Amino acid sequence: MTVTPAVEEEEEKKPTEGFPPDETRLGIISAVIAVIITILLPVLPAVIKAVGVIFALLWGADSVRKTSKYGLGTGVPSIGVLAMGYGIVGAILGTAFASKTGYAAGALGGVLIMGGVGYLSGVMSNSEKFIGMKIPGLERGMMELGLAGSLAMLLQFSIVAGSLNFDVVMDKAISTGIIALLFILSCMAMFHPYNACLGPDERRPRTLMVSVEISGLLCAILGIILVVTAGSMWGVADGVSLVIFGALVWLVFYVKFVKAAMREAYSVVGTGLIKTIE
Amino acid sequence: MDPVLLIIVCVIIGGVLASLGVHLLPVGGAPAAMGTATGIATGTVMLMFGAAMCGLFTASTVATFSNSILLVSLSGAVGSWIMMGVTMLMANIIYVFGTGIVPVSGRIDVDPITKESQKEYKTPQCDGHGVPNVSYISGMVGALLGGFGGAFMYFALLNYANFEPTTAGMAAMGIFVANAIIAAYNIGGTIEGFHDPKFKRLPKALITCFVISLFCGVLVWLAANLGGLIK
Repeated sequence: MTVTPAVEEEEEKKPTEGFPPDETRLGIISAVIAVIITILLPVLPAVIKAVGVIFALLWGADSVRKTSKYGLGTGVPSIGVLAMGYGIVGAILGTAFASKTGYAAGALGGVLIMGGVGYLSGVMSNSEKFIGMKIPGLERGMMELGLAGSLAMLLQFSIVAGSLNFDVVMDKAISTGIIALLFILSCMAMFHPYNACLGPDERRPRTLMVSVEISGLLCAILGIILVVTAGSMWGVADGVSLVIFGALVWLVFYVKFVKAAMREAYSVVGTGLIKTIE
Repeated sequence: MDPVLLIIVCVIIGGVLASLGVHLLPVGGAPAAMGTATGIATGTVMLMFGAAMCGLFTASTVATFSNSILLVSLSGAVGSWIMMGVTMLMANIIYVFGTGIVPVSGRIDVDPITKESQKEYKTPQCDGHGVPNVSYISGMVGALLGGFGGAFMYFALLNYANFEPTTAGMAAMGIFVANAIIAAYNIGGTIEGFHDPKFKRLPKALITCFVISLFCGVLVWLAANLGGLIK
């Protein structure tokens, strides 16, 4: 419980005040934060890991926005689901690396390899010889999605299972079926912001607020799971603080988003039905 | 065969079949929601995802009491077959009795299977409506192939990589979805079935999916090996 306030303040202010660091900067900041939290993993309480999850998902949402801007033809959700599809494979590989090497940092091996596969699929999707989508920056976008998806999944595994050991993760996070929930909620946090906000008047800070908001919901649900399964070495307090943290993040960003949307919306005037020509 | 090769080959077959299945589905996207294009009114990913999930449910149920790869894969195919069949039928019922339009293909003048004329029934400025016979049959074949591929992959991950059922299911779904989405990018979101001109782009998607599945297969084997599941 003692950890909660400090982290909340940092979390509430940082993304909005720093908004918008440009796409590259946001990517680097999020990646560094998520990687550091992943490496230091087992000793941290769930709330700090949740900050990592939020940043990883924010990065993913930004990449989805960047690539979907040009029109994918299949709808925005497709690329978010792709990211988490890669994320699951990368995270399972990461946990295998981590338990083989014995260090949590080994998990980054899985993340990097998935980034490579993402880059390759981006190259093949963009290349004239293969699919020929001709979207600028698709290679980088898909690479980032692979990285962000794997990092987010790894961090969530570690919150639920309390470690990155392959067997423990299999036992506590995957066999229990919690992974399905993690999968779809992380997908939501990545694709929903741009899917919901896209249009002529879309503004990046407003879109990213939705991502943080959904990540807050995800954290609250993770907290409930943590309380129920009691998987943490910090006891029930860990889960409870995570629920409070998630709910606070959700509330703050939900209010911010609604206010921003109200402020930026133009007034709607009723014009009646279209007149028929006699 | 060596487990490495078995896993990689099964994952590749699953991925390539997923890609082929996506090309056969009648996907209408947003225009179909207004009844102005042929196909089901949703995205490729949602359709294939739903079909694959249903296939994985039936396949995992059968896998609890059967060790035959053919039986498990076929049960997966039947699961996604039923899902697609019901979806297309319900879509057609809504189109015909709700919207009041005739299922008709927009890309061809004569149905290649039933030889029924299509052109007269198409509303001008539209790209077809509903799910006509040829698209229905094409969709059923697509679901069969996709479900078979997904279940094939699931079986390989379950029995050759020794994953637990949930892990095998989620990993199979992850790889399946990645391949389905690459295929969806290839068709640009909407397709009517095997008679659509876009179907000719198929080889490009198959090559891409082959490469992606190859990598995913290697990664899955690596994970199983490092995790100590393969002795």
